[in-house]
Amino acid sequence: MAVSLFARLKLRVLRNGFRGKPARVVMFVLSLFFGVWFGGGGCLALIASMQPAYPELTALVPAFAGALLVLGWLFGPLLWFGVDETLTPAKFALLPIPRRTLIGGLLTAALIGVPVAATLLATAGLVVGTAIGYGVLPALVSALGVVVGLLMCVALSRSVTSAFANLLGSRRVRDLAAIGLALLAALLGPAQIFGISALSRADFSRLERFADILGWTPLAAPWSASVSAAHGDYLAAIGKIGIGAVTTALLLWWWSATIERAMLGATDASGPRRAAGSAAPVARLFGRLRWIPATAEGTMVVREARYWWRDTRRRANLITFAVLGVFLPVLVNLGSSPAGLVGDDADFQALPDNPAIHTATMVFVGVLGAIAMANQFGFDGTAYALHLATGVPGRREVRSRIIGYSVYIVPLIVVISILVTVLAGKPSEVPARIGTLLGAYGVSLAACVLVSVYGAYALPETSNPFAVNTGGGLAKSLLALVAMIGSVALSSPLILAAALTGKLWTWLALPVGLAYGLGAVWLGVTIGGDAVDRRGPELLVAVTPRG
Amino acid sequence: MTALALHGLVKRFDQKVAVAGLDLDVPTGSFFGLLGPNGAGKTTTLSMAVGLLRPDQGTAEVLGHDVWVDPVRAKALLGVMPDGVRLFDRLDGAELLAYTGMLRGMDRAVVDQRAKELLDVLALADAGRTLVIDYSAGMKKKIALACALLHAPRLLVLDEPFEAVDPVSGSLIRDILQRYVQGGGTVIFSSHVMEVVERLCSHVAIMADGRIRTVGPLEQVTGGRELEDVFVEVVGGRIATGEELQWL
Repeated sequence: MAVSLFARLKLRVLRNGFRGKPARVVMFVLSLFFGVWFGGGGCLALIASMQPAYPELTALVPAFAGALLVLGWLFGPLLWFGVDETLTPAKFALLPIPRRTLIGGLLTAALIGVPVAATLLATAGLVVGTAIGYGVLPALVSALGVVVGLLMCVALSRSVTSAFANLLGSRRVRDLAAIGLALLAALLGPAQIFGISALSRADFSRLERFADILGWTPLAAPWSASVSAAHGDYLAAIGKIGIGAVTTALLLWWWSATIERAMLGATDASGPRRAAGSAAPVARLFGRLRWIPATAEGTMVVREARYWWRDTRRRANLITFAVLGVFLPVLVNLGSSPAGLVGDDADFQALPDNPAIHTATMVFVGVLGAIAMANQFGFDGTAYALHLATGVPGRREVRSRIIGYSVYIVPLIVVISILVTVLAGKPSEVPARIGTLLGAYGVSLAACVLVSVYGAYALPETSNPFAVNTGGGLAKSLLALVAMIGSVALSSPLILAAALTGKLWTWLALPVGLAYGLGAVWLGVTIGGDAVDRRGPELLVAVTPRG
Repeated sequence: MTALALHGLVKRFDQKVAVAGLDLDVPTGSFFGLLGPNGAGKTTTLSMAVGLLRPDQGTAEVLGHDVWVDPVRAKALLGVMPDGVRLFDRLDGAELLAYTGMLRGMDRAVVDQRAKELLDVLALADAGRTLVIDYSAGMKKKIALACALLHAPRLLVLDEPFEAVDPVSGSLIRDILQRYVQGGGTVIFSSHVMEVVERLCSHVAIMADGRIRTVGPLEQVTGGRELEDVFVEVVGGRIATGEELQWL
């Protein structure tokens, strides 16, 4: 009774969230589409894996798919999707609800959502596959396992995020956690490539043994039960379901223990008070950047540079680029040469000797370098009101932001270029690489500045680094993608020039790239700056978060 | 001479009319209180007056300079403290003041000297290198006020300057503002704390539903009565219970 109240509350909150917000409806429909897409795909794959005709698939797929699913539920909310804050425990803090009812209710509410439906759809493939392949009784056991597995996933993600929220009591810890997670997410791409190359060389029977062991761990037990049941080993199947059930119970118990503290909300312990130095305020603001002239524009550059380091969201973007910017060219350009990173794929071996490919990767890295600027006003949020109330000229606004960001990116670009060419054993190509990178970076800066003025959107002002914007932000963030594609297109003359001029490009690239990039930046500052002058108040409205 | 002249201001949000044709003249040298219940349009009006929100119709002039036609001149004369707006809060107090001053093109030595003085007076010097984001709500109000005062503007526009401020800081802010008005400056601020307005202001305006209902010198508006009574009478609304709530 009380539990169904929670479910109805969640549905009502979801429905009211759509009212008058077409962007949110579009996002919901999109997420439904992706849910059906992945859920349906998983379902078909699992049905196929449970057919007696493919015993090797039956041995591997349910166990590995289950483990992946659990890992997805564990890291997904932390890394990508954010925590669904529709019904937070803190909102029930003042109501006299017994803990058991609260946990049951929140779990029920957590079961309502697209990810759960997609998971259920995918794992239902196990039941259907078992029914087709092995008959009714194994299918019933399999169904039980699927239900337990689903509950386990939801309990896992809820308890971990709840425990995490407790950990993140102070802003300092939250900032650190967000940056750590950004680093982890950025490393995921490279890790995937290593994983795939490791997998392609792995021994099949060893994998099978690994899957067998995995089937007895909470990671895959509830789904692996289907396999045991299919083989007629009901004792093992029940044992595996039991493992899942016990894990779920333990997780719920843990959740209920942490929820009490989560109900009190993350207390904002004010940071440590640090004694002031004797330096004058202006000197303190400039700090190590005292070589920048102390003019109005210089001060804006300094503030911007400080913010790229002090603001967590910005720093996370910087770190992501630093990791990707180094890994991408290394992987593509070095191919299989030093440590067989990418395996013995013939395509990869053909790549390194083609100068156009070198140029293309450099262009891509350069374009990527400026993407963090695409919602630069969103990072500041309503703090932009200070610039608007002071009447900062638009071109100065845009120019200072570009310089402040480039304080980090340009040295990074130079380092990346040198690193890649030295690793490839072609130090003579350093100027060409730097030139191409800078040219592409300049073009991308110009495009991103325009997007940042015309397509600004508000970022949530919550202190939770995992909270996501469920509004129209996602739709507008697609604009960054458009800017990226446009920048690559506009940088393509550099690739073309590299292909046409051949050897000559080694010497032409640096001056040509530099001029191309600076020209683009000048254009971006002129057009974007004048747009800021015209649309200042509208820009402020766009970056103001709504209730 | 009027310090702030608003004429025919209109602002609509979707269907709702937040400000419906508002006229207001703030005399130079006055201490002007803008009163109104929640949702009356105070913040919207002040935002349009200082150039943060574009009005659908109407004009706003600061000491003769139209905020929307000649923003550079108008904004140089203005000091603004908006409500519910973030500061550049990843700077510490001294850094934020230095930034605000340099942003306005002030001389470096003047910025240093005034920033230190303001931090001392507002008792924010103890906070040291604490970032503004970690300040308490009252401290944030004080540093925002310091930012608005730094360039010695001729007109101060403050949105809810006394909200979330403890009594000691409140007295301090009142004293600073009074001294500023005595020195020839003009202050307009919004509030719904009657006592503060009654104690400080030379002029008041009461607005409701996006319109000014009453405006004038304080004595003229109150006519010897309590300001709160006048406010309730002008705005309307229920202030006592009848037969209900017997069970309470």
